[in-house]
Parts: sequence; C-alpha cells; structure tokens
Amino acid sequence: MNTDKAFRLSLFFFTISSFIIVASIVVSLIATSYPIFMRDGLSFIIRGAWNPVREDYGILPALLGTLITSAIAIAIALPLSISLAVFSSELIPGKFKIIMNNISDLMASLPSVIYGLWGLFVLAPILHQFVMMPLHTHLGFIPLFSTRPVPTNLFTAGVLLAIMIVPFASSVIREAYSAIPYYLKEAAYSLGMNRWEVIRMMLGYIKSAIFAGTFLALGRAMGETVAVAMVVGNIMRFPKSLFDMGYTISSLIASQFPNAEVYEFMVPALYGGAFMLFIMGLAINLIGFSMMRRMVVHR
Amino acid sequence: MSFRKIKERIMLGLIAILALLSAVPIFAIIFSVYFEGMKHVSLSFLIDLPPPPIGDKAGGIGPALAGSLILIALALAIGGTIGFFTGLFLSEFSHTKLAQQTQMILQIMVEFPTIIVGLFAYTVLVLPLKRFNALAGAFALAIVIIPYIALNVKEAYKSISFTLKEAAFSLGLSAPTAYLRVLLGAAKSGVLTALLIGMAKAAGETAPLLFTILGSTFTYFAGLDQPIHAIPLLIYNFALSPYERWHQVAWGASAVLLTIILTIFLVSRMIIRGART
Amino acid sequence: MEICDLNVWYGGNHVLKNINLKIPKNVIFAIMGPSGCGKSTLLRAMNRLLELNPTAKVSGQVMVDGINIYSDKIDVTWVRRQFGMVFQIPNPFPHLSIYDNVAIGPKLNGLTKSKSELDQLVRWALEKAYLWDEVKDDLRRPAAALSGGQQQRLCIARAIALKPRIILMDEPTANLDPVAAMKIEELMLELKEDYTIVIVTHNPQQAARVSDYVAFLYLGELVEVGETSQVFTRPINKLTEKYVVGRIG
Repeated sequence: MNTDKAFRLSLFFFTISSFIIVASIVVSLIATSYPIFMRDGLSFIIRGAWNPVREDYGILPALLGTLITSAIAIAIALPLSISLAVFSSELIPGKFKIIMNNISDLMASLPSVIYGLWGLFVLAPILHQFVMMPLHTHLGFIPLFSTRPVPTNLFTAGVLLAIMIVPFASSVIREAYSAIPYYLKEAAYSLGMNRWEVIRMMLGYIKSAIFAGTFLALGRAMGETVAVAMVVGNIMRFPKSLFDMGYTISSLIASQFPNAEVYEFMVPALYGGAFMLFIMGLAINLIGFSMMRRMVVHR
Repeated sequence: MSFRKIKERIMLGLIAILALLSAVPIFAIIFSVYFEGMKHVSLSFLIDLPPPPIGDKAGGIGPALAGSLILIALALAIGGTIGFFTGLFLSEFSHTKLAQQTQMILQIMVEFPTIIVGLFAYTVLVLPLKRFNALAGAFALAIVIIPYIALNVKEAYKSISFTLKEAAFSLGLSAPTAYLRVLLGAAKSGVLTALLIGMAKAAGETAPLLFTILGSTFTYFAGLDQPIHAIPLLIYNFALSPYERWHQVAWGASAVLLTIILTIFLVSRMIIRGART
Repeated sequence: MEICDLNVWYGGNHVLKNINLKIPKNVIFAIMGPSGCGKSTLLRAMNRLLELNPTAKVSGQVMVDGINIYSDKIDVTWVRRQFGMVFQIPNPFPHLSIYDNVAIGPKLNGLTKSKSELDQLVRWALEKAYLWDEVKDDLRRPAAALSGGQQQRLCIARAIALKPRIILMDEPTANLDPVAAMKIEELMLELKEDYTIVIVTHNPQQAARVSDYVAFLYLGELVEVGETSQVFTRPINKLTEKYVVGRIG
C-alpha cells in the first residue's frame, strides 16, 4: 500500500472517531438509564421525588428548574445581545468595533467555574440585596416574587446564565448584521428613515439569525453545569416562585452523582436525567442550525 | 423636536446603554478575581499543598496546578491529534458526504453539555478500572476539545490558496509530506490558534472532571491510572465548602486560572493579528 | 433643481470637481459616462445619501425649489423624502410583503391618516409602476418571490409612494434582461408627466432613447450638458463625441 492511501485511510479513521464517540455516548446514556425507565416509565419524568432510601426518583422539578433558569436567561440576554451586536456593528467606528468584539470573545472563553465563583460570592449577594429583596417586599403579592429569597436560587442562576450566554447569542446576530447587503441599507435611508428606523428594519431582515442565536444560546443555558450548580440552591422540590431554591438537570447530576453508586437506581435515574437533557439540547440545537441555514438560503 | 426624532434618540441611547451594560460583568469578574485572589497568590501558593480548612495556615494549589498541566497536555495529545486530522479531512475532502456529516456532528459536539461527557468517561474509564483516574479526566477533556480544534484546523487549511496547494503537489510530494511538512507552514497560525483554543477549553472545563479524577488533594501525580487534581475542580469544591479559608484558596486559584486563560487569549490574538499583516 | 459648485472627496480623492447643473421640471435628465467617473456619487450627493459613507466630504449647494438641501437647518431625512430613489440592484426588502414594501415609507413618514387611505396610496403607486395587475391578488406574498423586473418596478412603486418631487435612478436596468429593461424605460417616459427624473447610465444608447437632457461626466468633471438631440448629433466637445460613438467606456 502506498503512503497516500495509508494517509487517506488514517484521516478517515480519525474522522469517524467523532461519530464513534457521539454514538457511544448515546448508547451509554440509554443503556445505563434503561432500568429506571423500565421500572417507572413516564412517571420518572412527570413526578417530583428524590428519596434514595426508598429508591424513589422523579425529576420533574429539575426539568422545571432547567426551563425556568433558561427562560430567565433568554429573557435578559436577548435584548442585551441584540443591543451589543447592533452597537458594535452599526453605532461605533471600526477601531472600537474590534475592541468590543474582543471583549465579547473574551466573555465567551472565560471558564464557567469562574463565572460560578463570582456569581456565588459577588453577584448573588448584590442581586439579593438590591433586586430580589426589594421586588419581594414591594411586589411579593405577585406569585413570581412570592418566596422570601435567599441569595442562591433559580433567579440568581438565570441572571448568571444570561451573563454567560450574551456573547454567544450576540456573535451570531453580529455576523448576520454585518452581512446585510449595503444596498438594502441604502434603500431604507433613501425612503427618509432615520437611523433607528433603519436598524429596526434590518433587525426584521435578520430575524431568522436572531432566532438561531437565541436557540443556540438556549442550548448553552440548559446544558451549563458548574456555574449553575454553584448558585441555584440545590434543593429538590417544586419551585413556588422565581426566588425559590431548586435544581436544574445538570446541577442535579453534578451534586448527586458522587454518592449515587451506593443506591441501586440512582445512577440510572441520573443517566435518565442526562438523557432527557441530551434530547432537549439536541432538539433545540437542530432548530437553531436549521434557522441558520434558512438565513443563508434567504440571501 | 418631532416625536420621531425623540424616539430615535431614546432607542439609540437604549441600545448603547444595554450594549455597555452587557460588557460590565466581564470587567467586574476580572476585577473581583484579581482583587480577591492576588492577596493569596505567591510562589509557594503555586507549589504547596492546600491548607487545612480551619486556621490560618499557609498553603497552596500545587497538586491542582500540576494536575491541570498534566491533564491539559494529555487532552491536547489525544484531542489535538484527532481534531487536527479530522480538520484536515474536512478541509481537503469537503465535497464528500462524510465531511458534511462530520461537520454536523462536530457542531452538535460543540453544543453538547459537558457534564454528559463526564458521565461517559466515568462509564468507560472509571468503572472498568474501579478507580478515579487521570486518564479518564484527560479523555473527557479531549472529547470536549475535539470539535473546537477540528473546526478551526479546517478553516486554517481552507484558507491556504489553491495555487499553493497545486505548487506543493506539483513537486511530486506524497500527501503526508505535502500536508504535514509544506502546507502546515502556510496554515501554521490557524493551526496554532486552534490548539490554543483547545488548550483554553481544557484548562477551564470543570464538568468533565467532576466524576473522573476525584481531585486528590495531597499528591501531585501518582500515575495515569490514579486520581489527580485540577484547578477548576479545586475552585468548585472549595467554593462550595463552608470554610472561609478554602474560599480564599478558591479565589487565589481563580486568579491563577484567569491568568492562564488571559495569556492564551492574548497570545492567540497576537498570532491572528500577526497572520493578517 | 440646481447644483452649484459641487465638490466631493473620498478621503483625499477629489472625485467630483466643480459640478454646476440646472435640471428643469418634468424631464428625464440623463447623466452618462464610463464606470468610475462619479455618476453614482453625483446622484447620491443630490439626496445626501452620500453621508452614509463616513469618508465622503461634500462642499457646494444643491437647490431644490429654492431650498438649499445642504443648509444646516435642513433635516436630512426630510431631504431624502423629497427624492424617490431606484437602485442598480433591485432591492426590495425581501422579508417584507409586496404591500409592506410600498406602504413602509408613507407609514413611517405619516403621509396617510387611515388604513383605507394607505391602501389607496399603495394601489395608486403599484398601478403607476405597471405592477398592480400582476400582483393585486397576492399583495401579502414576500417581495423576494417576484422576478427581477417585477422587483425593480416594485422599487419604483416604493419610491413614488412617498410622493417625491424628483426620482433618482442609478442604472435601473443594468441588472435586468432586455424585455424587463424595456418595460422600465417605457415606465420612465410615463412617469415624466408627473416627476422630474434623473437617471444615471453607462450606456449612451439608453440616454439617447429616454432622456430629454443629457450630461456627460468624465473623471469627475462635467464635460458637456445639453439637449439630448443636440449632444448626440452635434457634440461640442471632442471627448463627448468619442464617447457617444463608443470609443470611450
């Protein structure tokens, strides 16, 4: 066999290893979680329970926690990341643009454990004193704010996640915004639109990119583990308000897995949670990617 | 001033305020980490064993730093190799169905929750060895960094002009010589950046290490099949402990980790800028 | 419209030099010249669209009905509303419907008071642009679904829906097939009844076919201006003569 052929074969081998890894991960998730689904069926997903002594597991509260924290994160991050993208591609001159983009890239490459540490010791007390307590005291009659907050809870986790996902959402939006054809902006200005009206029109033009960025960021928020585990409170119960302590699927795995081997069904239960997380993340990312592709076709 | 003009002013102002607001946390974080952390960092902090939780004894993050360096090197060796050749394949055989599907799989891997990768490494490398071990951690980190390296290496090789590729092959070189000796030079800065991105990821990731390396606090390195420690894991464990002294160590370790990340970031920016000019 | 001593620089490049022009009402005024001579720049100086380019610097006056549009007291968005503009690449907003493409200008500028008035205006503009019969049954379709020629007529409808004084056209047929281009030329002759049209073209035959007056621009300088018939039959300048017989450009 000649060297070219051997080289090509080895390239092929390395390339398919990614498929093997992903396939093995899926298989190991299914194979390990299978006992809990066999024993409990759907009730594993639609009930709330975490009683290892009686081997009773239901992960609905953690699923809700994942949804609540990511919803808070998206609600906060979306206006911020759109503004960041528009600001750096439309409102400031080139030199500052590069600085802004570098800051945004740096935000994306900071380890989540550092976000978590800062969230736990700096952000959580600030939010507690200046946001959550005032909201609870004055607007506590609204169910969303009804729980008397402690610093670490679902809301804090949501805000921290928002900070973490802004650079991801905004870079997708930024790329689409700077790819808008110049002649469209000219058309808008020639109709006598002012800058804001042109920006609003262009945001409409790239709305599929905004959706794509949102979905990709949502996927990140749902999968994030350590930063959330450090500020979410880690209690298995149905959240009564945004200010309640809780779990997300990933933080549940992070904090329960170390003692899971002692029990018969806890490992399957946690893998079951991981499997759910995998399915949700995959669905959301596939939606995001297809949006991104539509954006390309659109042009 | 007309209503329209007022609205324009307000909206443009709002955009600027929100954009600047979204950049505040990064500065707040860097400030906090260095302000709280640098008080505890010294040469001995980088070398010593962690202090006991109670009392004011000096101590450091020696095992975690050593462990992190070993894990980064191992993860780069495994993930870098797989990622590099995958990226080369994606660039040179981009027309094939396999390349398109691989691209999709890699994009999914980028978005994969890393905690799942940790569980996977636990299943395949911790359970069979019946012991937490360094190899499992490195393996998990390698899986995390493969897609980043592959996608960036692909871009690096893609950016080489076609005439240069023609020139390399017209010399009658074999494919491995052409790609790995001649053309690697042209793709150098891109490939280096790819490895640096992988390195930063491997240095900062925590979730893949939670169930794989245990975090042995008192040994630096005992073998690939033995437990090992890492800085991110130490920060996580110590921050969640109830001890004030360990919180201080966590801040100090964060300052060290942040310095590593910032250095890698700056170096990669310099390489990118150097490649442009 | 009158242009007095107009100069334009891009950075250090002097791209338009001492332009003086008088454009009468209800005519088609063509600006022709080889590519890169500054035609598009001159057109964009007329409605101050040039200001989108941060390196562009303008001096001189452009008077529209006795108002200098470069005066400090004048609002630039008001200036642009006095001109309808049609571009080289048909550029309707692809994510908006046919209806919304025409309606967006009047809506934002508060030209109509009620929905029915807006409907009427949209219909009027589309009829004027010879497009109504082709699209009246599906005004809600996205504009991107139209053919190139239809898109360009939609852009003309979008421009006249603003009820402008002057229509500026930047090589409006350069990216169209000959049949679609002919339709646009016919449309221009029709629109001349109500509007002054300034068209930029690199094609002297087109200028000869549609325009009443023509200006020849070469390397940023105005070489010759006059009635189309005179410029094409008895050009004064040697350069113009070379251009109209096809030896430059």
